[in-house]
Amino acid sequence: MEKLFPEYPFSIQNIENGLWLIIALPLLGALINGVFGKALGRKNVHWVACASVGGSFLLSLLVMWALGNVNTSVFNPFSPDISRYALSADYGTWFSAGSFKVSFGLWADRLSATMLLVITGVGFLIHLYSTSYMEHDKGYAKYFCFLNLFVAMMLTLVLADSLVLLFVGWEGVGLCSYLLIGFWYDDNAKAWAGRKAFITNRIGDFGFLVASFLLVLLVTAAVREAPQGTPVSSYRFSTGLSEKGPLAFQSLSALATTLAATDTTAKPNQETPALVMNRDIETGPLKGYSYAGVLTAVLLFFLLGAAGKSAQLPLYVWLPDAMAGPTPVSALIHAATMVTAGVYLFCRISYLVVLSPFAMATIAVVGCLTALIAALIAFAQDDIKKILAYSTVSQLGFMFMGIGCGLFWAAFLHVVTHAFFKACMFLGAGSVMHGNGDETNIKRLGGLRREMPWTSWTFLIGTLAITGIVPLSGFFSKDAILFGLETQQLTGYVPVLHTLYWLGLIAAACTAFYMVRLYVLTFEGKRSPLAKLPHAHESAWPMTLPLVVLAALSVLAIAHGLPLLSLPHSPHHSQTLMEAYLFPVFNVANQLGADTQKLLKTGLDKTEWTSLLWTGWFKAWLIALVSGGISALLYFKLWRGGRKFPAILEPLRRFAQNKFFVDELYELLFIERAKGLAKGLYRYVDAFFVDRVAVHGTAQTVGFLGRVLCWFQNGNVQAYASAIALALAVGLTYALLQVLS
Amino acid sequence: MIPTSACLLLSAMLFCLGMLGVLLRKNALVIFMSVELMLNAANLAFIGFARQHGNTIGTSGHVSAFFVIAVAAAEAAVGLAIIIALFRTRKTLDVDEVRVMKH
Amino acid sequence: MNVEIILFFVFSVCTLVGASLVVFANNPLTSAMSLVATFFFLAAIYVLLYAHAIAALQVMVYAGAVMVLFLLVIMLLPLQNTPLPLRPSPARWVGALSTASVLGALIYASLQWQKSLETLTPTTQTTTMSQETLMRFGNLEEIGLSIYTKWLFPFEALSLLLLAAILGAVVIAKARI
Repeated sequence: MEKLFPEYPFSIQNIENGLWLIIALPLLGALINGVFGKALGRKNVHWVACASVGGSFLLSLLVMWALGNVNTSVFNPFSPDISRYALSADYGTWFSAGSFKVSFGLWADRLSATMLLVITGVGFLIHLYSTSYMEHDKGYAKYFCFLNLFVAMMLTLVLADSLVLLFVGWEGVGLCSYLLIGFWYDDNAKAWAGRKAFITNRIGDFGFLVASFLLVLLVTAAVREAPQGTPVSSYRFSTGLSEKGPLAFQSLSALATTLAATDTTAKPNQETPALVMNRDIETGPLKGYSYAGVLTAVLLFFLLGAAGKSAQLPLYVWLPDAMAGPTPVSALIHAATMVTAGVYLFCRISYLVVLSPFAMATIAVVGCLTALIAALIAFAQDDIKKILAYSTVSQLGFMFMGIGCGLFWAAFLHVVTHAFFKACMFLGAGSVMHGNGDETNIKRLGGLRREMPWTSWTFLIGTLAITGIVPLSGFFSKDAILFGLETQQLTGYVPVLHTLYWLGLIAAACTAFYMVRLYVLTFEGKRSPLAKLPHAHESAWPMTLPLVVLAALSVLAIAHGLPLLSLPHSPHHSQTLMEAYLFPVFNVANQLGADTQKLLKTGLDKTEWTSLLWTGWFKAWLIALVSGGISALLYFKLWRGGRKFPAILEPLRRFAQNKFFVDELYELLFIERAKGLAKGLYRYVDAFFVDRVAVHGTAQTVGFLGRVLCWFQNGNVQAYASAIALALAVGLTYALLQVLS
Repeated sequence: MIPTSACLLLSAMLFCLGMLGVLLRKNALVIFMSVELMLNAANLAFIGFARQHGNTIGTSGHVSAFFVIAVAAAEAAVGLAIIIALFRTRKTLDVDEVRVMKH
Repeated sequence: MNVEIILFFVFSVCTLVGASLVVFANNPLTSAMSLVATFFFLAAIYVLLYAHAIAALQVMVYAGAVMVLFLLVIMLLPLQNTPLPLRPSPARWVGALSTASVLGALIYASLQWQKSLETLTPTTQTTTMSQETLMRFGNLEEIGLSIYTKWLFPFEALSLLLLAAILGAVVIAKARI
């Protein structure tokens, strides 16, 4: 490369200064399409939309390139050392209140850069796909406006250098998700689906906000009380605080290092290890709680936020309904990018996550239960998009398991590979719907392999990838997580992780089963007699090209998942490309985790590790193969021949088909309560108090006063003069009394 | 010299006489004259104080009175024009009859 | 008891009688003529208070210009045929009582003020103006100087006000423009 480009085409400084362009381009596209969309006409609308996202993709490539350079480093305002492999741009103070301050800054390290590429790359493909998929829709310009806005917001989320700006993106993607789910708002059910997603996300956002507020208190408490010599107590940190505010990620990193530092002032003979985070906070609103306790609370609230955005238990219910939106939207927002925001958030604050084993175990348990429940529900679904939605929920559960066992890179690798193959499958589903008159029921499809070869082959690759068949990327990313569950030593929670390992294997088996079922019923066998159209047609090239690219990426992404690198800083195991690439990002977390929670199984030497890895792989592969094979056998041979579902299992199937009645349970437990409360509020507060007492009461009082005053305003000038004289007399007397007394 | 309080007493009585006229009389012209009386009462107070404090504030009191006279002249011109216009439309100067200040 | 005070007392009584006639006469013409008399007596009092220039202005502007205007209007309008006697009404009762209390308050205030002057600061009760300054005090030169230096801006503003009044009077009084 250096021979090809003896001089760099752009200086790193220029790329750093231009970071905002990555967000600004799609934003501009959204603005143009939103304001002038009607006037531009369809041709120009998609040019604007695709070009803006494509431009962002090129800029993201530049960022990626700059981050590969060893000289790329930024000044860290919070501590004397510099942050390597990162770019940052600060645009000054955004807002401040008292001593609390938030600066508006962008930050790109390798984690963000990978996300940037996924968002803009997959986003570009989906924009391209949409030009064909949405070509007959009357809201064409509006659609691309929302889609561009979504990309801009997602990029804001990823490029944010503080939790506050991240929250802007977080809310922005939620808004776009709502707008796009309810894109066909004249259909009542779709509009309701949008509302459901929005309100469910609100609950999560509440958790996010509370967590952020607690973090501010935690940082200020640490600045006040941390012992001398820790990063937080340094002068440099206080200047950073006054410059960028407590919620900047660099500040949180310094906080994490401080909390994990040895407490020099602690009394000996304590049961807990003498770390700063085991101290109690002495002053301020959090007085009496220990740092570790507050941190756990923070992480649990973040888990609530992430559960809302990333569709985890108990807030996953909105995602399957979100399939009401256009299919490319489901592919982009509800499979590839937005729903991974929760995983991204935990990767971003990985150094805080590793400090609380309880929170990590909770994250892992929540992820595992979500993965299992969603997989079980997916068994009995017949709607092609619903199955993919539940599979997304399930895969997100895997990512959370990865977070929970401290293997952030594995979780993130799964984010990336999942983005490829799930987007591929969603787009394939869209292509199927497009070619079959919007039919989504897989029981009424079938036999599409011959009629839609491109769609079918790419879908097969996606299915194999998510199932975990060896040469495809899904196997390595999923197995990295499962391997982590098996080997990571989370202090106090080792048995939990081991249980989760087995449950994870079951979830993986379920995944294989229902995905193969989906594929077989849709593409294999004979065409169902219930099909809407007698013959399906293959989609146009703007739809098949993204499918092919994404399928190719699902295969090629294994390059990131193979543990091939033996690096000096990890003598005990070989690293994957992804792990090595993200090393600078998770370095702090890994060190803190190794020191405080003994996250890495240091007792293993390299040969033991390798044999464990191979057995793990073999187990996972075998399970996927067997489960997928059974499924293929069942649906290929038996039920294509007209066999009915076994009667004994019918209630179970019904139960799963109705999504375990979770929606109904929520309806009964929360929504009815909320409705009752709303009705009460309406009747007593709104109808009685506001309408009758406040509004009508005010009007009637004023009307009465008006009639009384009307008597005084009789038009007689002398009467008015008398009033003035009376006022003068009273005023004069009063003044006189005041002066005299 | 004349005691200032004597000036003030005279001024007060004059003012109240004018006020009585304004408040009790029905004839718009007389009301107007009473207003002139009140203005003169104010002038008298100004000049009385000017006499007392002449060594410290100079002739400021006189200047104020001068301004009051000028304003009164302007007011007389406009006011009498209004009375003429009023009489032209209503054929009366009785303020009880003219109840237009309602809106 | 010097001549000054005696004269002041005499003129005061005349002024009050004139003013009462203005207010209580039935015929507007009587009122107007009494008003002229009142203005003249007031001018005399101004002279007693060493306000020569203002006294002259009082005679010229009030007793001259303004009163001519009043008489002109009275002559212009056929008013003699419409005597307007007093007619009590609640508003008038309120007005009368208010006026009475204002009068009471003002008289009480003046007397109190005089008393406080005597008790608190005995030195300020008499003016210390010398005879020479007293002679110059309040003549046209002194006032003119003051108007054209210290009060120039209000003075110019006043000229605008007079202009506006002229235009306003014409516009209002004319039947058709």
